[in-house]
Amino acid sequence: MLALLSDAYGSDGGIARYNRDLLTALTSSDGARRVVVLPRHGHAGPSDLPAGVWQLKPRGKLGYVPAAMRAAMRNGPFDAVFCGHLHLAPLAAIVTRLIKAPLWLQLHGQEAKGPLTRAQMWAVKQAALVTAVSRHTRQHFLRLAPIEPHRVRVLPNTVANSFMPGSAPGYLVERHGLHGKQILLTVGRLAADERGKGHDRVIRALPALAAGNPDLVYLVVGDGGDRARLEELARQAGCAGHVRFTGRVAAAELADYYRLATVFVMPSNQEGFGIVFLEAAASGLTPIGGNCDGSSDALADGVIGIAIDPESQDQLIAAIRRVLSGDRRDPAQVQRFRFDNFARHLGALVDAHLGSGPAAA
Amino acid sequence: MCGIAGIYGYHYAANPIDIAELRRIRQRMAARGPDGAGEWCSDDRRVGLMHRRLAIIDLSERGAQPMASADGKTVVTCNGEIYNYRELRRELEAKGHIFRTETDTEVLLQLYAAKGPKMVDDLRGMFAFALWDGERRGLLLARDPYGIKPLYYADDGWTLRFASQVKALLAGGKISAVPEPAGWAGFLLFGCVPEPFTIYQEIRAVPAGTTMWVDARGPAAPARYFSIPDVFSSAEGQRPARWPELQGRARAALLDSVRHHLVADVPIGAFLSSGVDSGSLLGLMRDAGQEEIHTVTLAYEDFRGRREDEAAGAALTAAGYGSMHTTRVVTEGEFRDDLPQIFDAMDQPTIDGINTWFASKAARELGLKAVVSGLGGDELFAGYPSFRDIPRWVRWAGLPSRIPFLGDVARHLIAGSRRFAPLLHPKTAGLLKYGGTYAGAYLLRRGVFMPWELGKVMDREFMAEGIRRLDPIGLTGASVGPSPRTPLAKVASFEACLYLRNQLLRDTDWASMAHSLEVRVPLVDSRLLKDIAPLVLSLPTGAGKRLLAASPSTALPDSVVDRPKTGFETPIHDWLQRDDRTQAWRRMPELASATCPWARRWAYQLAAA
Repeated sequence: MLALLSDAYGSDGGIARYNRDLLTALTSSDGARRVVVLPRHGHAGPSDLPAGVWQLKPRGKLGYVPAAMRAAMRNGPFDAVFCGHLHLAPLAAIVTRLIKAPLWLQLHGQEAKGPLTRAQMWAVKQAALVTAVSRHTRQHFLRLAPIEPHRVRVLPNTVANSFMPGSAPGYLVERHGLHGKQILLTVGRLAADERGKGHDRVIRALPALAAGNPDLVYLVVGDGGDRARLEELARQAGCAGHVRFTGRVAAAELADYYRLATVFVMPSNQEGFGIVFLEAAASGLTPIGGNCDGSSDALADGVIGIAIDPESQDQLIAAIRRVLSGDRRDPAQVQRFRFDNFARHLGALVDAHLGSGPAAA
Repeated sequence: MCGIAGIYGYHYAANPIDIAELRRIRQRMAARGPDGAGEWCSDDRRVGLMHRRLAIIDLSERGAQPMASADGKTVVTCNGEIYNYRELRRELEAKGHIFRTETDTEVLLQLYAAKGPKMVDDLRGMFAFALWDGERRGLLLARDPYGIKPLYYADDGWTLRFASQVKALLAGGKISAVPEPAGWAGFLLFGCVPEPFTIYQEIRAVPAGTTMWVDARGPAAPARYFSIPDVFSSAEGQRPARWPELQGRARAALLDSVRHHLVADVPIGAFLSSGVDSGSLLGLMRDAGQEEIHTVTLAYEDFRGRREDEAAGAALTAAGYGSMHTTRVVTEGEFRDDLPQIFDAMDQPTIDGINTWFASKAARELGLKAVVSGLGGDELFAGYPSFRDIPRWVRWAGLPSRIPFLGDVARHLIAGSRRFAPLLHPKTAGLLKYGGTYAGAYLLRRGVFMPWELGKVMDREFMAEGIRRLDPIGLTGASVGPSPRTPLAKVASFEACLYLRNQLLRDTDWASMAHSLEVRVPLVDSRLLKDIAPLVLSLPTGAGKRLLAASPSTALPDSVVDRPKTGFETPIHDWLQRDDRTQAWRRMPELASATCPWARRWAYQLAAA
């Protein structure tokens, strides 16, 4: 299989992580044993790659098209083309025409908000399989795209085994001065151009929450262009003393940050999925998230965490108080998102839509 | 005839199914099955099936559904009737299958065990069923060849929900009610919502004549097992026959269909009009040996003594065949009283069906649980004016419609001149643009509004999106495909696959089931179609109905056959336009003009509500 994608190995971020899981699962299933990856970003050495994955040098905007054509002609033959980003779909569709192979398109969320360009519309029509990270992304895409619903399937994020419950790590308590504190936690980029994760709403809720609980701290993990605005917002709300911005944290420390928290909260309205909810739940927390975007999937409609109207401050405050007072969801429920389920499902979809298995498309 | 529903959380990330949701869905269909309610849920709570029962065959508790196989590996919930279940049962018994009940439902289980999803090829009837195969962990959804019985589903990517009605699915409370622009555009164009669309994005129809397999990967593409155009296409190759032979073959085929449609453990009545279709069926019911037949005709107070009154003609036919006949008079007052219930029962917007509401109400008042209807006669025996009009339009407009832009220029000119010629029908403007192809001409013939008019009556952007998603000409053409070559076969395929399926059969379903009445349609039958299609294609256009009228051993009199077609007129259009609850159309100047066809007002009224 030829994989045209933005990034996978040698990159950070949610999309890269998802692509790595997918490529690992692909090469461990019977559907495809060898994948040639052409990324836009990210260098990876042979030791970074699982068996069966061969990642070519990343190519920038200009060099990507000829590199994709070259890879299609020289590195094949390919049984299918995986396109890891909607923006690359027109190119991927041309490549599939060229080498007469089926096209598989992956949707992560934000990029599928639409509207679609004419070229993307055309490319989508060629796709034998579209996988969307969440039900919300799938449903939204079906409103935009000229494609039969049975060709668009849901393939959710997975949660790594490194996220598990544990006691609060002392080095982080020390680093952020959190002795004796109850901690609300949000993990995510502070993107100035999105502002969809709901940090503002949590900060605005803090005065009411902290009124009866002076030891409450809101720990904001992640960095980005919106940080200064959020810091100012906390000052204006008079709760700056209850907020700690950690900035970007090392990947190796992330699991420990979840173990610090009492409540994970991210009342977002623009999540494609929200893998952080799974990480929080796997760490033994009862996450609180929005009910109008991909978060519903990560929260399993309220079974894994609490799903609220993200615009409702009342619901947000009530949900946080409930979790602080001991309302918990069953931590075992998050196990459904483990990698082996993901890999099995992916193998079945590949067999049905792209391979030799019983036809479903 | 019943109501079915189910939920299957097929995806590994899906939650176990919510039985309370499933019960809410079933409760919304209570009228479809007043004789019982059943439910089944798998041990792991991944799949649940529900049923509301209207007991017609094997009235005992043994006929309750959902019904499991003896080994418990398969479970079925079915809406409808399998008319050839006795033959199938005999065949299966000969192969060693052992039956526990006298029901047609059990035949489905045993036939599946013998043949798997291919079983649908053997079924003759009206049905929509869901069969859970516990060994393969898959759900088979199936719908009859014509689409007599409805089946809708919603797949959110994790969980599939299905039910006999759109409103029932929504009543479960877990399905988004985001409107489907294609469904609304289709309704305004055709007067009914063309399948597979509904007026909600998340809900779709299982297409008629298809099966759908759902397993852990989700629902597969619908697999077609029966195609009406293909039957006509095969019939085109057969040699033409002479009248006596045609008559003999038609009589045998019709009698066979009627016999099959009389299989029941309750008395079967009949809807009777003054026309050929229901009259011939009454005669054939007699020939099939049914002695006591209760017939029902609707009469409208406003039509008393007028040409449109069906009562006198129907009474004559009833007397001729010796049925116990009832003429039920409907008044405007009753209509006004019933209107809220009619809107509640109307599963999707439609400009028809109210007539069937009152006929079904009347039949149920007489204690009937099942009746025979002459629906489908015009489609099968080429009785509509469209069989003449559409080929003529295609002949006239075929050449000029190929000249680039001529159709659009003509449309603008004619639409502009309507100010000066108000009696000109609004669809005239589309003659050159659409008249040159069969799909376009069909849209012209059956269309309520024309595509270019939708933006004037509804939100422009929403309608543009609807037209893009629906692709009305593409959808119309695709419903028939390239197979039939002759004009009659093409038009017959259009009428059966679009008007009959999306309008008449669907309206008959909601309007009759609201009164817990099963309507059986012997002229809408896959076996009959195979027998009759070659005969109708041998005849000149317009002669098909004579074949039908001559089929009973006591043929219908010429006075019935030669009676000018009234088009099932009712005063309901006038009542609707007078009712103060249905006046939204008056806001639109175009619709308020005296010459505006009522169907446009009614369609707008429903869309604007």
